[in-house]
Amino acid sequence: MNAMSVNWILALPEITLALAGLVILVFGVLQRPGKGIGACTVLSIAAFVGCAVLVALSPDGAAYAGTFVNDSFARFMKILVLLGGLVALLLTVSYRTDERAPLPFETAVLILFSTVGAMIMASSANLMTLFVGLELSSLSIYILAALERDDVLSSEAGLKYFVLGSLASGLLLYGMSLVYGYAGTMEYSGLIAAIQQTTALPVGLMVGLVFLVVGLCFKLSVVPFHMWTPDVYQGAPTPVTAYMAGAPKFATFALLLRVMSGPFGAMAPRWQILIETLSILSMVYGALAAIPQTNIKRLMAYSSIGHMGYALMGLAAASTNGVRATLVYLAAYLVMNAGVFAVITAMRRKGREVTSLADLSGLGRTDPGLAAALAVFMFSMVGAPPLAGFFGKLMVFAAAWQSGLYVLVGIGALSSVIGAYYYLRVVKVMYFDASAERLDQPARSLVFVSGSMGLATVFFVLALGPLMALARQAALALGG
Amino acid sequence: MLAQLVFYVFAAVLLLSAAMVISVRNPVHAVLFLILAFFNAAGLFLIAGAEFLAMLLVIVYVGAVAVLFLFVVMMLDIDFTQLREGLQRHAPIGICVGGVLFAELIMALSHWTMAPAGVSVPLQAAPGLTNTAALGTLIYTHYVLLFQACGLVLLVAMIGAIVLTLRQTGSGRRQNIEKQHARTPEETLVLVRVPLGENVLEQGGFLRPQTSYYDTAVPGSYGSTGQPAVEKEETGA
Amino acid sequence: MAQFFYHTLAGQIILMLLETLAVLVPLLIGVAYLTLMERKVMAAMQRRRGPNVNGPFGLLQAFADAIKMIMKETVIPAGANRALFLFAPFLTFSLAMLAWAVIPTGNGLAVADINVGILYLLAISSLGVYGILIAGWASNSKYAFLGGLRSAAQMVSYEVSIGLVIVSVLLAVGSLNLNDIVLAQRHVWFCLPMFPMFIVFFISALAETNRAPFDLPEGESELVAGFFVEYSSLAFGLFFLGEYANMILMSGMISILFLGGWLPPLGLAPFTWIPGPLWLIFKILFCLFVFIWIRATFPRFRYDQLMRLGWKVFLPLSLVWMIATAGFLMATGLLPQVGGVN
Repeated sequence: MNAMSVNWILALPEITLALAGLVILVFGVLQRPGKGIGACTVLSIAAFVGCAVLVALSPDGAAYAGTFVNDSFARFMKILVLLGGLVALLLTVSYRTDERAPLPFETAVLILFSTVGAMIMASSANLMTLFVGLELSSLSIYILAALERDDVLSSEAGLKYFVLGSLASGLLLYGMSLVYGYAGTMEYSGLIAAIQQTTALPVGLMVGLVFLVVGLCFKLSVVPFHMWTPDVYQGAPTPVTAYMAGAPKFATFALLLRVMSGPFGAMAPRWQILIETLSILSMVYGALAAIPQTNIKRLMAYSSIGHMGYALMGLAAASTNGVRATLVYLAAYLVMNAGVFAVITAMRRKGREVTSLADLSGLGRTDPGLAAALAVFMFSMVGAPPLAGFFGKLMVFAAAWQSGLYVLVGIGALSSVIGAYYYLRVVKVMYFDASAERLDQPARSLVFVSGSMGLATVFFVLALGPLMALARQAALALGG
Repeated sequence: MLAQLVFYVFAAVLLLSAAMVISVRNPVHAVLFLILAFFNAAGLFLIAGAEFLAMLLVIVYVGAVAVLFLFVVMMLDIDFTQLREGLQRHAPIGICVGGVLFAELIMALSHWTMAPAGVSVPLQAAPGLTNTAALGTLIYTHYVLLFQACGLVLLVAMIGAIVLTLRQTGSGRRQNIEKQHARTPEETLVLVRVPLGENVLEQGGFLRPQTSYYDTAVPGSYGSTGQPAVEKEETGA
Repeated sequence: MAQFFYHTLAGQIILMLLETLAVLVPLLIGVAYLTLMERKVMAAMQRRRGPNVNGPFGLLQAFADAIKMIMKETVIPAGANRALFLFAPFLTFSLAMLAWAVIPTGNGLAVADINVGILYLLAISSLGVYGILIAGWASNSKYAFLGGLRSAAQMVSYEVSIGLVIVSVLLAVGSLNLNDIVLAQRHVWFCLPMFPMFIVFFISALAETNRAPFDLPEGESELVAGFFVEYSSLAFGLFFLGEYANMILMSGMISILFLGGWLPPLGLAPFTWIPGPLWLIFKILFCLFVFIWIRATFPRFRYDQLMRLGWKVFLPLSLVWMIATAGFLMATGLLPQVGGVN
C-alpha cells in the first residue's frame, strides 16, 4: 500500500539467519553420513554471532504491512534468544564422546531454524506472525527432543511434546479466532483500537484471551500446563534441553509481554488475577515438586517451572517496571541456566553421560573448578546476593510490590525459601557426600561456557546498570 | 435463492460428514468421510466466489494429504475393541469436561458482540483481478515474510521426517544407474559355441558376466561389499 | 428459441445437458475405439493383425467386448466391503468424465470456461488415486491391496512434478484459464521452448495413468492384475473405461499445455481450413499413439527406479526449470502482467 508496507531491511537478521540455515543444511548433506555435526555447529555459531550483530544494528520500524515490528524490545529479546541458541550450540559441539553414533548434523540446523522462529515471535505485530513464529520454533523442538531415536526416553519426550504441543497450538488458534471474531483484525494496533473503544468487554473476547494465554503458557511450561516438562527435559539430549530451557522461553515471554501489554493492555485489571494465579501455582509447584527428584535434568525442569513463575510476576504487575523486571529476570535466568546445563553436559563417566544427582557426589574434591561453578549457579538460582539471580528476583518482587500485589510477593518469597532446599542439596552432595567415581575431564567448550557463565553470574552486578537501562528502554517501547 | 439452497446442502453435508468422521467405527470410513467433508468445504468456497481456494483445498488436502492418511490408516491394524475399552472407562470424565466447555462456549457465544470498528471490516473485491491474482499479489508483497516463514515450517517438518526415520542400513539394493547403463554388450554378452552332447559343467562351468551387480551397486548398499561368489567359475570359460 | 435457451432456467438446464452429452458421447465412442486402436497398433508393431473378425477391420470388436462384459456375472468376493467395492469403479469412471467439463475444444468452446481450469484438471486427476486405493482396500485381497498402495505412492509422487511443470507453463501464460493457455501459444507452441518439461510431463502422465512402463499397480506378472484383480463384469468395465478415458484426458492436457490445443501448427491457409476441434483431436490421437507405442516398446520399471525417477530426477529438474523460466521471463521482460490475457 505504501512505502513502509514492505521494508525488507527490518527483517534482515531473520532472513540472513534463515539463508545461513539453508546453506548449512546443504553443506551438511554433502558431508559423509554421520559426519558434519562439528562443522555445521561451528558454522551455525558463526551465523548466530553475525546475526546478533545485525540485530544490534537493525533500525526501528514496522514492516510487511504491519505484521512485523522492530523496536528496542524486539532487539533485547532477540539478543537473549540468540545467546540462548548460541549456548546450546556450544554444548552441542562436544556432546557425544562415547562410541555411539554422533548426533546428526541436522541438530545444528534445527536449532538454527527454531531460533529464526523465536526471533520472528519476538518481532510479531500480528497474531498470524505470532502463530507462524511459534510453530516454526516449536516444530523444530519437537524433532530435536526425539533426536536420539534409539533411546526410548527421547522418543517418548518427542512424542509427548508433539502431542501436547499440538493441543496447545490448537487452543492458541482457537483463542486467536475468538479475538479475531471480536475485533475483526489480527494486527495488534487494530486490536488496541478495538479494545479501547469498548467499555463493556464481551465474554467472548475474555474467553479468547484466556485460550491465548493458555496456549502460550503451555510453551512456557507454567503450572498447570507443565505436565510435559520433566519428561521432555529428561528424555531430550542435554544440549537440546539446554536450548529448550532457554531461547523458546524467552521468545514466548516476548509474545506474552507484547500481547498482554499491547493489545490487551487496556484489559490489564481483568487478566492480572489470571497471571497472578499462574505465577503462584508455578512458583509453589516448582519448589515443592523438585524436592524428591534424583535426576538433575528433571530437577532443572522443575526449576525452570519455578523460574517462569517468578518471571510471570513482573507481568502480573502490569507496569513498565514490571516488564523491565521480567526482562532483567530473564537475562539473569539465561546466564545461570546456560551455566548449569554446561555443567550437566560435562557430567560424563568413561564417555557415557550420567545425569543422576548421586553422580555429583564429592565433585568438590574430584573436580573443584566444575563444582565451584555449579555451586555459584545454584546459589544464584536460590537468589543469594550478590549473584545474578538475586537481582532478578529483587526486581520482580519490587515491581509486584509497587503494584500492590503483596500476597504474590509473600508467596514468592516463601517458595524461594523452599526452593533453596533443593538447590542447596546439590551443593551439599557435591561438597559433603562421599566421593563417587571421578568424572571425565570436561571438553574445552564446556569449560568455556560454564566458566564464562559463572563469571557472568558473579559479576552480574557490574552489568546491571546498562542492562537495566536497556530493559527500561525495551519496556517503554512496548508502551506498557 | 438457488445459491442459498446449494449453500445449505453443502453446509449440511459438511457437518454431517464431519460428525461421521469421529463417530464411525471403521477408520477407513472415517477418512473417506473426512474427504467428503473437504469436498463440501471446497463447495462452500466455490459459492463464496473463492474458486482458487476451493481448487487448492481439493488438490492439497484431498489429493495429497488425505491420500497419505488413507494410506497409513489402511496399513494400520487397529483393534477396535481395545480402543473402546478405554473409551468406556474415561467417558464420564470426558463428558464432564466436554459439558463444561460446551456450557462456556454457549455463554461466550450468546453474549457475542463485535467491536464497532470490526463490524465494518472492509471486504471489497479487488477490481479487475481474478482472485488468484489478487491472492498472489498479497501473499508475495505484504505477507511475504509470513509466507516464507510457513515455507520454513514445512522445510523443518521435512528435515524432521528424514532425521527421525531414515536409517542408512545396508539392506537396500541400490544401483548406480549411470554405471549400469554404461555397460555394453561386449562386457556382458559372449557367444560360445557349445558342443552337442557335452556337459556344460565339464566344459568349465557357467559363464558369468564380467561386470556384475557388484560393480554397479552403490557403495554401502546390500551386496556391494561382498565379493562376487562366482569369480572362480568365470575363469573356466 | 434463443430466448428460451438463454433466458429461462429450464432452457439453461436443457442446454447444459445437451452440452454435456456433446462431450460425453464422442468421448465414450472414443474410449471404445481407443481400445481397438491400442490392439491394432500394438498388433502392427508386433507383426500381427489384431482383431479383424467382428465387422470390417474388426471395427465392431469394441462393442462385442462391451456386450461380453455386461453379460458376465458380477462377483463380489467374500469379506469385501460391498459398498466401497462397487463405489470405486464408479468413482474412477465418473472422475474421468467430469474432467472434460473444462477442456476447450475451440476458442471458448468448453462446457465450463472457468478461471481456474488448469487447477480443476489437476484436482480431478489427483482424485483418480482414490478409485484405485479404495478398490485395492475394499477387495479384501492382498494382491489388490498391494496394487492400490503402489498406485497411491506412484501417483502422489508424479503429481508433484506435474504440478511444477504446470507452474512453469503458467508463468509463461499468466492465467489459470485453459482458454488463455491455448491462446498464449498462438506464436509458438510451448513444446518447443519448454521441450524438457514437455517430456517430463509426458512421462509423468504415463505414470499418472498407470500406463506401461509404469503399470506397477496392475503388474500382471507379479500382482496378477493388481487393484482390479477381484473385479468382473460391469464393475471391471467401468474401471476399464475410466482408465482409457483418463488416457484421453491426459493426452488432452498435454495437447492444451504444450501442443497448442485447437490451434493449427501455422496460421496459414491450408492449416486454418481445418476446424479447431479437429486439430485438437489430431493432437490427442498423436499423444495416444505415443502412449501405445511406448507400451509396445518398453519393459516395466522396477519400483525403486520408478520412485527414483520421480523424486530424484523429475522433481529437481522441474524445480530448476521453473526457477529458470521465471528468471528468464523476468530478465527479458516477457513476464505476463497480473490478471492474465483477458
